[in-house]
Amino acid sequence: MAVQKDIGAYICSGCGLGDRLDCDQLEKVAKSDGRAKLTRQHEFLCSKAGVEMIQADIDAGDVSHIVLGACSRRAKTDAFNFENVVMTRTNLREGVIWVRPDTDEARESTQEMADDYIRMGCAEVKYQDLPAPSQEQGLNRNMLVVGGGITGMTSAIEAAKAGYNVGLVEKAGHLGGTAAALYKRVPERAPYSLPVDNGVDSLATQIQGNPRITVYLNSTVTKTSGAPGRFSVDISTESGDTTTENFGAIVQSSGFEPYDMSQLTEFSPESPDVVDQLGLEALAKEANGGAIKRPSDAKAVESVLFVQCAGQRSEKEGHLSYCSGHCCATSIKQAMYFKQANPDTDTVVMYTDLRTPGAGGEDFYRSAQKQGVIFTKGEVSEVTPGDTGPLVKFNDLILDENVEQNFDLVVLATGMLPNSGVNIDAPAPAEGEEVTETPVSILNLDYRQGKDIPQLVHGFTDSHFICFPYETRRTGIYTAGPVRRPMDIKQAMDDATGAAMKAIQAIENSSKGLAAHPRSGDLSFPSFRKEGCTQCKRCTVECPFGAINEDERGFPQYNEGRCRRCGTCMGACPVRVISFANYSVDSVGQQIKAVDMPDEFEEKPRLLALACENDAYPAMDMAAMNKVEYSAYVRAIPVRCLGSVNTIWITDALNSGYDGIMLLGCQKGENYQCHFVKGSEIAHIRMSKIDDTLSQLQLEKERVGTHEVAITDVERIPQIINEMAETVQKIGMSPFKF
Amino acid sequence: MTDVVATNQTILVVGGGISGMTAALEAAECGKDVILLEKNPSLGGRVSQLYKYFPKLCFPTCGMEINLRRIKARNNLRVMTLAEVTKVSGDKGNYSVDVKISPRYVNENCTACGACSDAVSAEFDNEHNYNLDKRKGAYLPFTMAFPQRYVIDPAMIGTDDAAKAKDACPVGAIDLDMAEENIQLNVGSVVWATGWKPYDAAKIQPYGYDRFDNVITSVELERMMDPQGPTGGKLIRPSDGKEAKDVAFIQCAGSRDRNHLRHCSRICCMASLKQSTYTREKFGDEGKSTIYYIDIRAIDRFEDFYQKVKSDSTVNFIKSKVASVVEDKDTGNPILKGVDTEGYKRYANPHDLVVLAVGMEPSVNFNDAPVDIVSNEFGFIEANPENGGLFGAGCASDALDVNRAVQSATASALRAIQVVNQVAEAED
Amino acid sequence: MSELNNRVVEKYRNNFLKEVEANVEEGDWVKMCMQCGVCAGSCPLGDAWEHTPQKLFMMIRAGKRDEVLSSDAMWMCTSCYNCIVRCPRELPITHIMHGLAHYAARLGLSPKNQPTQKFAQLFWDNLTKTGRVNELKLGLNLYFMNGFSEGVKKSLEMRSIGQGMFFAKRLNPMEILGGHGVKDQAGFHAMLDKAREIEDAKLDKFGK
Repeated sequence: MAVQKDIGAYICSGCGLGDRLDCDQLEKVAKSDGRAKLTRQHEFLCSKAGVEMIQADIDAGDVSHIVLGACSRRAKTDAFNFENVVMTRTNLREGVIWVRPDTDEARESTQEMADDYIRMGCAEVKYQDLPAPSQEQGLNRNMLVVGGGITGMTSAIEAAKAGYNVGLVEKAGHLGGTAAALYKRVPERAPYSLPVDNGVDSLATQIQGNPRITVYLNSTVTKTSGAPGRFSVDISTESGDTTTENFGAIVQSSGFEPYDMSQLTEFSPESPDVVDQLGLEALAKEANGGAIKRPSDAKAVESVLFVQCAGQRSEKEGHLSYCSGHCCATSIKQAMYFKQANPDTDTVVMYTDLRTPGAGGEDFYRSAQKQGVIFTKGEVSEVTPGDTGPLVKFNDLILDENVEQNFDLVVLATGMLPNSGVNIDAPAPAEGEEVTETPVSILNLDYRQGKDIPQLVHGFTDSHFICFPYETRRTGIYTAGPVRRPMDIKQAMDDATGAAMKAIQAIENSSKGLAAHPRSGDLSFPSFRKEGCTQCKRCTVECPFGAINEDERGFPQYNEGRCRRCGTCMGACPVRVISFANYSVDSVGQQIKAVDMPDEFEEKPRLLALACENDAYPAMDMAAMNKVEYSAYVRAIPVRCLGSVNTIWITDALNSGYDGIMLLGCQKGENYQCHFVKGSEIAHIRMSKIDDTLSQLQLEKERVGTHEVAITDVERIPQIINEMAETVQKIGMSPFKF
Repeated sequence: MTDVVATNQTILVVGGGISGMTAALEAAECGKDVILLEKNPSLGGRVSQLYKYFPKLCFPTCGMEINLRRIKARNNLRVMTLAEVTKVSGDKGNYSVDVKISPRYVNENCTACGACSDAVSAEFDNEHNYNLDKRKGAYLPFTMAFPQRYVIDPAMIGTDDAAKAKDACPVGAIDLDMAEENIQLNVGSVVWATGWKPYDAAKIQPYGYDRFDNVITSVELERMMDPQGPTGGKLIRPSDGKEAKDVAFIQCAGSRDRNHLRHCSRICCMASLKQSTYTREKFGDEGKSTIYYIDIRAIDRFEDFYQKVKSDSTVNFIKSKVASVVEDKDTGNPILKGVDTEGYKRYANPHDLVVLAVGMEPSVNFNDAPVDIVSNEFGFIEANPENGGLFGAGCASDALDVNRAVQSATASALRAIQVVNQVAEAED
Repeated sequence: MSELNNRVVEKYRNNFLKEVEANVEEGDWVKMCMQCGVCAGSCPLGDAWEHTPQKLFMMIRAGKRDEVLSSDAMWMCTSCYNCIVRCPRELPITHIMHGLAHYAARLGLSPKNQPTQKFAQLFWDNLTKTGRVNELKLGLNLYFMNGFSEGVKKSLEMRSIGQGMFFAKRLNPMEILGGHGVKDQAGFHAMLDKAREIEDAKLDKFGK
């Protein structure tokens, strides 16, 4: 070991720690078992004096690694904010005295708990180094936007306004996307009364005059490789010319495809006088403010019916189950086209739930009513080509009757389908199965894990997190607009700005080697011992963020810029060669081993809790704040994610005599809460295989439990711990105590 | 004296709810200098008072933990609580903002050990729980409060209890002489993330919120469900503490209504759909929820959640704006009167508990705020170029759900960055 | 059906909503209804209605002209104003109900023997005679509305109330002789004639 590690252990005796614990004993433990070079006690460690005391030791070069035996790592972070030193917080307050009764009987076991945590803290820092940025980070500060619709144009303009250069790739020969096909759009600012200009020309003009934006028309992205800060992108024209450009981050605004209305056979889609909303836009554009004429005979439309939710919000085969969000306001806008041209036009919007949310939506709805648009709550069952125009059969839900009525024109409000490229999670077609349609990839990612962004649901690439709409699964690549989630223009423009924000942030952080959300700011990154690697590829498969490729010789290539530092790769590695500077198989494993293991006959079981630092560990802190007690036999170690738990920790713990082990992670499955997507799920799978180890050791299955907990499980986690203590009492102590 | 260094390249974010935290963090994680102001003693805002989020039914504190950790890790993001903006002057790229800081009476020495709270006996309405219970006069607003620092209620100053709190503090954190401060900040741009407040349900007279114990608001139900809330997580009737197994939800309570809020508050349909799962969570098949609605506005993939709730046989939907609520004096049951408009069915339905899905109005009405900013008739900030370097974020700009509020806040962070980057460019 | 009715039908060619907007007092509000049903639920006489206001509005939009105009629903309105107060869309529902009733009556479509309508006519006739309501006559006319024997029965029933009102000086038996009226009788009748002329002119625009 090249670097000298001087451990300083600082014990706080404030907040009742001094009354409840023998702090001199803790110092002794730090010195003898923890091999601390120096130990100090302070009655108020987080005070200015306490902090200065620690800082003085750091400044004097006396300590390089510090262990603070005080409160939780979640408390007093502003006080304990030291630079250039490895620090661990040993949780004596929330983790020990606040969860134990203040009684004479409890005193001994409480002290043992604290002693062990000091041993663990010292063991942890011993195996930690100060993380430094990797040297692989790229410094490219340009942003790529894929898709030149209103979302992409907005992203480009907003990023340029912040001083960043942007490459804007559009597969068509002009900018504007779907919005360019609109006669007008729904207003996004007061007054919410009439349709407004579609806004495409104004954005296109801004782009043309902007020296920071380079537009690639008739082009697609044919290859994307690299990582944030150093993406290398092939941009190819239709004719096959390819240029390779470098970018720091990517916004994918590939928009949507309209639902294919020909599938709605019950509505006579073949009839020329039955159109979808985009079809109506074309008619309106043609009329350009004059009377809108129906396609069949160019007669000016005198009556028009808008059928909401056509092929949407329906479980029928081939229909979309979701709501496309914009269609109610769009139909209202289109009904206004007719009313503006001729107030006498009969315009009926038939809906089951009229959805015009937000401040402006209701005003826009009212405005249409004022203009004489009729809204009928009803369900259209059939449209047939009538003699004088489409004949519509519907059930009027208010008047509770079935009606047939002729209209000159019927507009179907069909839904949007995300243009999200290849579904990389789709099961491979079975042999012999005919592949009808292969979606065209948008990004052509040169990632081992697939060509495009993983999809969340219904093909949309949305984030799974309510608090974090831009929590992408491909670092440095953000989707925006209707490819992310069904949305209207107003939201898409906001979304475009938000995505540009995240892309810029990815550029800034990757240039410094800093992690992206949720471990934002983390400098540590995975590295591996090449000589130990067996090229099993498990790390590349299990990485939830598609960060890891393989080099030409089959070794993993970590692409730190793409890495989110969850440690799932570390947990996956069967030969344990992957580690972070401050988080490794050893930094946790040695804590497990550092616990003083009483022998079998002392009847003092030891329980290990590996707790997710995002949810389970804070919940334990909050249990402490609420003075919920739990067993003194437990030793809790926060982990970055359950996905980082390497089974060797479990095996080692069992071998060194732990009587019970609990893994506390987040919810998995469809509504997963794991911040690293699959960590909790993977941990459950790995732990299901622990049974073999247990049976080999002739240990009971009940000794290892994997639990899905939430941050609110303030009562439940202590209960899980106590139940494990009871279980051990029932099945007896582990025989592996040496 | 609070010493805050700020420059015209500093971004000021007003409001420490999820939108404000997001805007501040996104900008700070881009390397910008950010100050985040919150008028309450803790960050967190409305979402910290929610039990679960729709549509995932996950817990808001989970995201808050991540956001707090991000904040703790950022030296270029400074948080000021109990701080309110009193005046804004200047222009884009160079604003002068007057801030009033109310005394917390507890300094940074506080270790949140709770000794002060144990020492005092005075109790006050607990605003975190919408005054459904009491808290001590020396208190931590809630378990996850940040800064994790106690507060002395100003009403306790000058009483024996205040002295007791001071004496009980082992680290000299209580300073009863702390006074209001007024400071001035020079910043480049300001993000207004002042959030929303629930519409005053008492104003909806026919529903009797002010007359009947068993008529509550949707935000109160969220607190009741919280295991750390006023009922310890029990879904019970305020009148007699009986289990509320049959719950009615009245939609558009104050929204889409010219007598109250003219706009649609967007979130209430989803909130009631979500809350209908609370009845199931507590009582299984024995629970019953009835949602009285005009239109169910479960847009985009929220529709999936609506369909899921709809398929639950314990949840009923009635298309009707409830006309009035009366109370059955014998049982304490609220009786809902109205007409099911689908086919004209008149009803007078008794329920155990009525939850008003109250509307959302901007917490600060920008039509009369101490800042010159363009807002619409509802008081929400408009995205208007005339606003210069002032931007709305989250529910200060529209009635939004959490996801959309965060999206809006992220966008506003970039708009603020544009301003300070332009300032930096000009000064280079 | 009256001649006037035929002319109206011709002009609006089944567009009943437009007909209502043009001819019914406050009729242009009908399109603003969003079918929440709070009016229906708020009506104290709701049980007695064939169609609720919100449903009438939907029927108007659906072109159910005969059903609406021949309905006795809008005659049931007691002008309590509960619906107007609660309507989230600001519809003057009470006025629209009266407007519809009045319009139906003018077209001769309102239901025969509808008591509210009969009373309204009695009231109007009574009032327009002298410009002041003759309460004694109005009461008696009302009792005898459905024939002589029933009128006698009703009068006897109401005797004690009549006596009470007499002693409280709320009823003057001398009113039977004609009663008091407004000072300028000629002016009053001229005003009524003018009003009638304006109303007729409105209806004259159909099919002349």
